[in-house]
Amino acid sequence: MTALIEARGVSKRFRQHKRFPGLLGALKTLVTNEYTEVLAVSDIGFDITAGEAVGYLGPNGAGKSTMIKMMTGILVPSAGTLSVLGRTPHLKRMDNAREIGVVFGQRSQLWWDLPLVDSFTLHQRIYDIPAARYADNLRRFSELLDLTPFLDRAVRQLSLGQRMRAEIVMSLLHDPKILFLDEPTIGLDVVAKDAVRRFLAEINRERGVTIILTTHDLQDIETICPRLIMVDHSRLIFDGELRSLRAALGSARRLTLEFASDPGPLPLRTAALVSDEGLRKNYLIEREDISLVAILSEVGSGRGLKDVALHEPDIEEVIRTFYQRRNADQRSNAKARAS
Amino acid sequence: MSAYFAFARSSFHSQLAYRNEVWANIFGKLVQVFARVAIWQAAYAGVGAIVVEGVSLQQMVTYALLGGAVMGATRPERIIGEIGRSLKTGDVAIWLLKPLSYPLYLFANECGSFLYRLATQVIPTVAFTALFYGMLPPASPFHAVMFIAFWALSFALLFLISALFGLVAFWLMTSFSLDWILGALLQLFSGVLVPFWFFPEPLATIARHLPFAWIVYYPNAIYLGRLSTPEIWLHLGLGLGWAALFLAGVLWLWRCASSRITVQGG
Repeated sequence: MTALIEARGVSKRFRQHKRFPGLLGALKTLVTNEYTEVLAVSDIGFDITAGEAVGYLGPNGAGKSTMIKMMTGILVPSAGTLSVLGRTPHLKRMDNAREIGVVFGQRSQLWWDLPLVDSFTLHQRIYDIPAARYADNLRRFSELLDLTPFLDRAVRQLSLGQRMRAEIVMSLLHDPKILFLDEPTIGLDVVAKDAVRRFLAEINRERGVTIILTTHDLQDIETICPRLIMVDHSRLIFDGELRSLRAALGSARRLTLEFASDPGPLPLRTAALVSDEGLRKNYLIEREDISLVAILSEVGSGRGLKDVALHEPDIEEVIRTFYQRRNADQRSNAKARAS
Repeated sequence: MSAYFAFARSSFHSQLAYRNEVWANIFGKLVQVFARVAIWQAAYAGVGAIVVEGVSLQQMVTYALLGGAVMGATRPERIIGEIGRSLKTGDVAIWLLKPLSYPLYLFANECGSFLYRLATQVIPTVAFTALFYGMLPPASPFHAVMFIAFWALSFALLFLISALFGLVAFWLMTSFSLDWILGALLQLFSGVLVPFWFFPEPLATIARHLPFAWIVYYPNAIYLGRLSTPEIWLHLGLGLGWAALFLAGVLWLWRCASSRITVQGG
């Protein structure tokens, strides 16, 4: 099976005209020809096969949108090769456009002053969608995302959540093979986020639409994307299944033990005590191979243990510890270099 | 192709959203036309002649009314504004994502707005003022047909010139008032305020050769029968030449702009 999207050593460097502050600086900006180079994406490679749902995750400014723009053909990579559906996107932008759907969370593609349904019919004309297929898609997607009640309302009167649902429906009307979403849940409330996530997961599962979405909301990825690509400072730092992220990045599970009466200080070999409130003690389990049974047998039966709670670290925590660790490493490296 | 018709239609409908603007625009246009006619009446009364430079007051009033009709339905500042905005905010990326030509989309859009303003504002205003002041018919059926052809050409030219100015704004990247500059050039060199036959030489000759002349002066002069048949055909050819030149300019600048967006990210 060949990959739908192939990225090999893709980099994107932006040249920005150097600007100088102040009034004199503004004049200087006009006459000088100095540039600063910004590396937005550096040496990124991955394969995405048909039917996958991939979350592209990273903090602000990590180069997520830049990568999406390159895959959709509206940015030209500075280095490396990129192939989407067997084409180089920026060379075959129009052909590429017909087979992909794109949603920008921060940029509307709907016609502001027209009733929502008019945006959809314009989309039908732009993509030459046969009438029967268009009607069928519109009906099904509108039902799934509950758009039907406001199809006749002008777009500018819709709420952000309604508008984002409409954007997603529109991007799917021409049956794209790949759907790119750049921060699709940004600014939405919990209910709207949930509706969008469930819909995307369903589209991916039932229709086999390949989904690539950027986000910094980890919940998006937990619901929609089995696979995660993480970038930071333009570089790829993790590519794999969400489940293996924890193991790869190494984050501790938390254990809470509750006692009927205070057993006193209770250090364990299998878990590190982090806080002791007497009746309630919190531990961190650093090693993946230690089981709850092992811990409980170490605690023993004579201590009046009432309740046990084991918290798997959520993904936010995993990533937070990852960043903390890396920053600490960088600091110690810098110190090592300095001394 | 059907997509572009749909754009024209939808831009026509979009305008309906701002119905109050219609009355404001009609009022504005009426004031403008009344003022122009009043100026010519005063000028002719001041000279004390019935015919000046071979043109009667009645012809001058017709010229003033037509000027409002020919140029009144296009809003160059809106075209410049729209292109400038979508280039600066990066919204243009959305157009690059669709299997479409952005310049052609803009043109379709402008056609829709043009028809809307023509139907709801320009024709009512001109009809009303014509009743008030009286308006001459075209010099002949041939001149009437040619006036329509020149009107269409004027619309296309004005669109292309505005699009060119809008694209240039992308490189200047400042709040430089290109729309204001174009407005000033049009006021003087399109002949909308003063027909070239009242211009002193060599200004009149210069104005007759600038592309702006095809926007108001030539359509109106043809309506009034001031150009002979061979002259009409010659100027139709010249006007089409200008339009082709501007079209090439727009397409070239658009290619430069889109390659800059895709290479440098805007």
